[in-house]
Amino acid sequence: MTPARWQALLEEVTLIGGVRGAAVVSAEDGLVVHEAAMDGVATADVAALATALVRRAQSLLQVLGDEVPRMVTLAATRGTLVAVQGKLDLWLVALAEPGAELGRLRLLLGDLAPELG
Amino acid sequence: MTDLPLAPPDPGHAFLDLGERLRLRGQLEAALSVALAGAGRYPSLAAAHDLVGRIRADQGDDDGARSAWIAALECDQGAVGALKGLAFLAFRRQDLAEAERRLEAAALEAPRDTTILAALDRVRASQPAFREEPIQFDDPDAGILLFDAEGLRLAGGVGGAAADAADIAAAAGLGLVREADRTVRLLDLGECRHILVEGSRARLVAAPVAPHGGVLLHRPVTAPAGRVVAMAERAVAAARRWLEEAR
Repeated sequence: MTPARWQALLEEVTLIGGVRGAAVVSAEDGLVVHEAAMDGVATADVAALATALVRRAQSLLQVLGDEVPRMVTLAATRGTLVAVQGKLDLWLVALAEPGAELGRLRLLLGDLAPELG
Repeated sequence: MTDLPLAPPDPGHAFLDLGERLRLRGQLEAALSVALAGAGRYPSLAAAHDLVGRIRADQGDDDGARSAWIAALECDQGAVGALKGLAFLAFRRQDLAEAERRLEAAALEAPRDTTILAALDRVRASQPAFREEPIQFDDPDAGILLFDAEGLRLAGGVGGAAADAADIAAAAGLGLVREADRTVRLLDLGECRHILVEGSRARLVAAPVAPHGGVLLHRPVTAPAGRVVAMAERAVAAARRWLEEAR
């Protein structure tokens, strides 16, 4: 995938109302591969924290006989973090404000994540 | 719901095919003789009990059908035909909660079977209004687990999994809640409400019950995400009361 395609994909996510930014993250090392409009937030922090959260979620899911999580959503009082599994150990991560169109965001991330890689 | 296709017989045993043919022709007594003889000869064969269940259901003997399908599940917990059959019986007696639960289990075993998903939709649509599932911390099969601030299981379970798995899930649930707390603190997101984890088979919600621990809700992936989250929020409120009383 070309950088231009990465950018187009992430900008599509940030067009959804209430989405503060989006990034492609490598789950192996928690580093940012590509990002878009993550204003006011350190993208590297988001990537590292999202990766750690996904690992914890995976541990829990495996106890219950499942495999790698397809989607992890952290809902907090001042925002929501959504991470969706893509290909090649890449994750599509988005940060949204409270009241964002979460249903639409989940669907779009689910549609776009398979294109990663 | 009543036209839900039943599982075809296993081709490895001739009596299954014969019994099914007789059933389809309406020769139910003959079909039952064949099926009972087969089930007697192969008591650990789920398909044999499933066939008995179908014939009994056709005869209007719901109790007999239920016993046969329960026997099939004892042979094979994932016997799709038995799960569908039990869902059918539950639907017939308007026990929509059991019908939904059995169909959800069947959907997990046969995720591409569109007849199951369609039946699941029909069962959910048949419910006159939103039905709140009870929050049961004392029932390990309810899929709700309560853990303390040290990751020890206080009550509940993760729905059919062994007690050991529930204890491990409690420890892992606390780890996830703590990681979520760290994330919201460092990203200045306020307070953590919950974490929704979606796998290929299950949806889980972990939520803090500060400062005492947290709750974990385990549901099949067929359960709508919003409904799982709503139930988790009710579980958190119930957990607060439970913990206050326990203290």
